[in-house]
Amino acid sequence: MSPVPVVRRAVLWVPDWPVVAAMTEAGLGADVPAAVLHGRGLVAVSAAARAAGVRRGSTRRLAQRACPDLVLLPHDEGRDSRQFEAVAAAAEQAVSGVEISRPGLLMIPADGAARFHGSEEALAEALVTSVAEQAGIESSVGMADGLLAAVLAARGSALVPPGGSPGFLAPASVESIALAAMEKAQREEAERLASVLVRLGIVTLGDLASLPFADILARFGPVGAWAHRLASGQDLAPPVLRRSEEDIAVERVFEDPVERIDHLVPVAAELADGLDRALLDAGVRCGRVRITARTEKGHDLARVWRTDVGARAGAFARHMTDRVRWQLEGWLSGTSGTAGREGAPEPAPLVALGLVAEDVVPLGSEQSYLWGGTSGADARAHRALERVQGLLGLEGVLAVAEQGGRSPRDRAHLAPWGQEAPPARAIAHPWPGRIPDPPPATVPPVPRPALVLDAGGGAVTISRRLAVSAPPTWVRLEADPADERARAANRHPSSGHVGRIEGPVWDRPRPVESWAGPWPVAERWWSEDASRRAYVQVALRDTEESQLAVLLAYTSGRWELEAVYD
Amino acid sequence: METAEDRLARARAALEGVQRRVGTTRDRWSAPTLPLAAVLDQLLPEGLRRGRVVAVEGSTALLLSLVAAASAAGSWTAVVGMPSLGVVAAARRGLDLDRLASVPHPGAQAPAVAGACVDGMDVVVLGPRLALSDADRRRLASRARERGAVILSAGPWPGAHVSLAVTGSRWHGLGAGDGRLRGRDLMVEVRGRQSGGTRLVTLPFDADAPARRPAQMPAVQVLGGAA
Repeated sequence: MSPVPVVRRAVLWVPDWPVVAAMTEAGLGADVPAAVLHGRGLVAVSAAARAAGVRRGSTRRLAQRACPDLVLLPHDEGRDSRQFEAVAAAAEQAVSGVEISRPGLLMIPADGAARFHGSEEALAEALVTSVAEQAGIESSVGMADGLLAAVLAARGSALVPPGGSPGFLAPASVESIALAAMEKAQREEAERLASVLVRLGIVTLGDLASLPFADILARFGPVGAWAHRLASGQDLAPPVLRRSEEDIAVERVFEDPVERIDHLVPVAAELADGLDRALLDAGVRCGRVRITARTEKGHDLARVWRTDVGARAGAFARHMTDRVRWQLEGWLSGTSGTAGREGAPEPAPLVALGLVAEDVVPLGSEQSYLWGGTSGADARAHRALERVQGLLGLEGVLAVAEQGGRSPRDRAHLAPWGQEAPPARAIAHPWPGRIPDPPPATVPPVPRPALVLDAGGGAVTISRRLAVSAPPTWVRLEADPADERARAANRHPSSGHVGRIEGPVWDRPRPVESWAGPWPVAERWWSEDASRRAYVQVALRDTEESQLAVLLAYTSGRWELEAVYD
Repeated sequence: METAEDRLARARAALEGVQRRVGTTRDRWSAPTLPLAAVLDQLLPEGLRRGRVVAVEGSTALLLSLVAAASAAGSWTAVVGMPSLGVVAAARRGLDLDRLASVPHPGAQAPAVAGACVDGMDVVVLGPRLALSDADRRRLASRARERGAVILSAGPWPGAHVSLAVTGSRWHGLGAGDGRLRGRDLMVEVRGRQSGGTRLVTLPFDADAPARRPAQMPAVQVLGGAA
C-alpha cells in the first residue's frame, strides 16, 4: 500500500443506486416511494421514500409504518451491476475511459478530460448531461485530488480546487471514510474502524490525518494505514480504466430468407474466411466461436463452439465451415439437441447468419486448455475425432460429462463433441434418494422392459404406499437379439403365443438370489416429464457360480431395466 | 564438446533400435506400457502394452478399470459402439471424462471410425456389436501396433494378445429387501496368446471401504425419497 502520485479525478455518483436500478428495471417512476430490502433491513431508499420518513437500515415493518404505499423491491447485486453498464456507456460518450469503482460510482481521471472539454465545470456538465440524456438517470459529479476527497466532492457536487483536498477533507466526519471502501467486506472493516476512532475522540478526518502515520499503523494495522492515507488526501492506486472494444464478428444478412443448406454453405465458408481474416488483422486468436442466426420468424439462435485454433494454423476457415454446416443442418431440420425441448424455436428459413469470436487472446499467447496445453497427442486426438465427426455428422461423436441427478441415466450428460453445452444440473446439489454407489457400468439409453415374477409366476407389483405384493423370485429380461434359441423358444406355441408375436423376446427366467428396495423417487411432479418410480436392486443367478446384478424400476404398472452392474 | 566416442555410441544405439524394430536381431523389443491400476496386475502382469489388443468379455466395469489409470495419466480414450456406457461408473473408476469421446452408433462406418480412432487416440474401446469383419480386425490390430494404440474389445476378438473372460461374479451387500450392492468378487479367466495356458484369477472389485468414507453413503440417503 505504498503512496502513488495523487491523481486529480472526477467522480460521478448516482444517489441510492440499488433502488434506482431496481426502479428502472421494475418500470417505476422516480416519484414513487420505493426501497430495496435485503434480509431484515432496507439497503437503499428512494428520495420520495426518504422524504416520507423511511430510513436506510430500518426494518420492513417500521418502513411501512412510516410510508404505507412504499414499494419494496428485492435486492440483486447482479441487477445493480447490469443496469450500471448503461450509465457507464453514457459517461463514455463524454470521456474516453472510466473506472467503475462500484455500481453507482464512476471514476474518471480529470486532467485530460477537463482540457478536452475546456474546463472542469464543462466536463462536469457534459457528464451529467450525457448520463441524464442517454441513460435517463440523475447523477452528480465532483472533482478533487485523491480518492476520498473526490468521492465526498461528488456527494456535494463540489469542485475542490487543486491542492485543496486536505483542507476539504479536514472538517468531514471520520465516518465518511467508509465511503471510499469499494467492497462490502472492506466497508464493514472501515465502519468498525470509524466507530473505534469516534469513541477515542477522533471525530474528523483532520484529527485522523494529524496523527503520526507510524502510530496509526502500529495501533490499527493495514486498515488504519489505509484510512490515514485517504484522510490526508493521498491516493492508493491510479484509476484502472476499462477500454471497450468492438467484438470481432462477421455477419451476413440475406435479402430473401434462405432455407437450403447448399445455399448456406458457401456463405458459411465466406463468413469463416472473413472471421479468420478479421482475427489476423487484429493480431488475435480466439478460443471459441459463437454461431448466430436469425430466423424469418424473428427467433435468434446461437451456439458456441470450441475451436482449437492453436493446433490449426491455416485450416481454420475450412474447419469452421464444417461446424457451421452441422449447426445449420441441426437448426434447419429441427433435429439439433434443443429442438425437442420446450421453448426451442421451430425450424424456419434464416434471414441472417453471423460468427462472433470469443475468448480472444493475442497471437502467440493462447491459453493452454484444461488438459494442459496443445501437445502433440492432444492435437492428434482432436484431429481424429474431427475426422470421425466428418464421417458421421455432428451427433456422431459425443463428449460425456457427469451431472447431478438421481438415476444413473440422469447423471450422464452427453453433448456433441466440440460444442459448449454446460450440464443442466449441478453435481454439488444433495440429490436425496440418489441410487447409491457403486454406479452401474451399463446404462441403456432408454429403459428396457423386464418382468418381475413371484414364486407362483404372477407379476410383482408395488403399491403407492410402497408395499411389495410378494417377494420377487424370478426376473425375465429381454433376450440378446443375437440369441437364436430365445427367439425360437419365443416362437414356440408352448410360450403362449399363437401367430404373430408382439412385444419383446424374453430370455429364460433367472432366479432372484437377493434384492433390496423399493427405493421411491418422485421427480419433477410439476412438469411434463414427471416421473414416479420405485427402484429395486436385484442379484440374479445367471450360471452356477455367476450372479448378474441389475437395477430395476417399477413405474406406472410395469417393470423396466434401468441399468446392469456388469 | 562431443567426442568421437560419444557419437559412435549414439550411432550404435540408433542402429540397435532400428535392428530391433525391423527384426534383424533376435532380442525382443518390448513396447512401452500404459499405467495400470495395481489391483489389475494379476490379470495383465506385463502391463497394458501399447500396440496390443485385449479382449474383455462379460464385464464393462472391468473394461473401464483397465482404461482408468491410463486415462487419468493423460491418455485419450475413444469408446466406439457402446451407447449404454455408464458415464458415472467411468468417472468413479477414475477415467478423465475430458479426454473421453464416445461414438455410440458408428453403423456401417465402423471400420473407418475405428481406424481413425486407432490413429489418433491412445486407448480405443470397441463395443461388442460392431460391423467389423475378421479382415477389418486384423487391419486394426496391425494399425494399433504401428501407432502404439491399445485396443480393448468388449467381446471376443480373434487373435487378441490377451483375452479376459469373466466366468463368475459374486455380489454381496444385498439381503431380502434390504441392504444395497456393496462389492463383488470377479472370477476372470485370463488367456494369453503367448503364454498358452489359462489362468483363473479372483479379484475383489467395486468394494467400497466404509471405514474410509462413512459419511458419504448414510443409510438414510438410500431410503430417502421425494424430489
